[in-house]
Amino acid sequence: MKYAFFPGCTMAYRLQFAEKSIRMVVPKFDIDLVDLPFTCCPEPNAIRALSDDTWLTFAARNIALAENEGLDILTSCAGCHESLSLAKHELEKNPERKERVNEILKDLGLEYKGSSVIIHLHQILFDEIGIETLSSKVKRPIPIKVVTHTGCHLLRPERILHVDNAEVPVKLDLLCETLGMEPLDYMDKTMCCGAGVRKTNSVTSYAVLREKMTSMQMVEPDAIVVFCPTCFITFESGQRVANRIFGTDFMLPVFYYTELLAIAMDLPDTELLLNEHRVKLELPKSEESTKETGVSRGDSMASSP
Amino acid sequence: MTDDIQNQKLAALKETARPCFQCGICSSSCPVFRVAPELNPRISVDSIITKGVVPREGNEWLCAYCLMCDQRCPMGVSLAEILMEIKNISAREGKAPPDVIESAESLMGDGCLSPISGRSEKIRTELGLPYLPRADPTDVMKIFKATGAIEVIEANKETTQEATE
Repeated sequence: MKYAFFPGCTMAYRLQFAEKSIRMVVPKFDIDLVDLPFTCCPEPNAIRALSDDTWLTFAARNIALAENEGLDILTSCAGCHESLSLAKHELEKNPERKERVNEILKDLGLEYKGSSVIIHLHQILFDEIGIETLSSKVKRPIPIKVVTHTGCHLLRPERILHVDNAEVPVKLDLLCETLGMEPLDYMDKTMCCGAGVRKTNSVTSYAVLREKMTSMQMVEPDAIVVFCPTCFITFESGQRVANRIFGTDFMLPVFYYTELLAIAMDLPDTELLLNEHRVKLELPKSEESTKETGVSRGDSMASSP
Repeated sequence: MTDDIQNQKLAALKETARPCFQCGICSSSCPVFRVAPELNPRISVDSIITKGVVPREGNEWLCAYCLMCDQRCPMGVSLAEILMEIKNISAREGKAPPDVIESAESLMGDGCLSPISGRSEKIRTELGLPYLPRADPTDVMKIFKATGAIEVIEANKETTQEATE
């Protein structure tokens, strides 16, 4: 299966190792990725808030590029997935807006038709490939305790996205279980990481993060597992900022799901991914050494919030 | 012309907000309200319904657009979408926060919100990631012009200038 790959600006230019993990893993499931000259999805909290029409037209251009190639779009960021999916929904339900958008796109030599499906990696792995196939590829189980954060923009609006149950998401937990991890339930599982207001009001944003991570910390996980690069950066780098502002003591390692999948599949060069982490977790080399999981402060240069 | 658009937007907002019966589940589900009660989605909607006034004193920009309110509203009123519309109205009046304008300018510059730097490209090369094709800057500019974003950005720059004078 071939997809137009939409890594999004955050993953492509700030969390490159997460993109690397996707490109390591998907060929093993016979998935080919095609890169197209996409722009930012665009991000709803800045661009859509400034001008809804601008947001819709940029999103339509991105989708039209994939349509031109006869490809569906594979997203890897919750924000991009939500933005493109909502734009597609809006264009389907509102023919007048679609017509206006297409008048603009005509000048770019493009037309939005609505034929490409927007699908996130989370859906490919859980809904298309499935737990059974995934577990058959696991060579090196990862015996750690994790809390999962599916991300607002994969869960809501539920009526449009259909990725998982928006109030009780379980699919990412099951995906983790497949790799030998123990997913822990926690109180504020569907709560936002706070990224949406980071630039506009950083103290408010980190206060949301503090609430979220306090809830995670209560169940004493070894790590957080996410499916969105923005949530990744918010948790990994943001926890240090929250610690400075509020005197908290968060120090949780964070993983983008396909990093762990690559490790569990025992693919070569996974140390390339882990080297970039700011909070490191020594993963047991085999099942025998399950007890030893040490967290250390890393000083690598992953992006700052 | 601009006034027409603003009036249409206001009328549409009142219609969207109408089913709300002020139960407050939006606010109690809002992660921002939990730490910064000045953002209160219920109050924003109340002002629209009872006073016919769209509140835009700045708190609308605190919405993280996490859509928890949208998920929980028993009347199917999307508070997040209402707040998004309020942000659009507020931006047209030149009241967008500086970071929003910066993001728009970044998109206008290289089609991307996270700045593409020599260092970010170097990391891609080191990891063996492919070069990502970029959008034609002329196309990016065409969309900015045709959708009125340039005027909105200008309106906000004028406000910033007035504020500093």
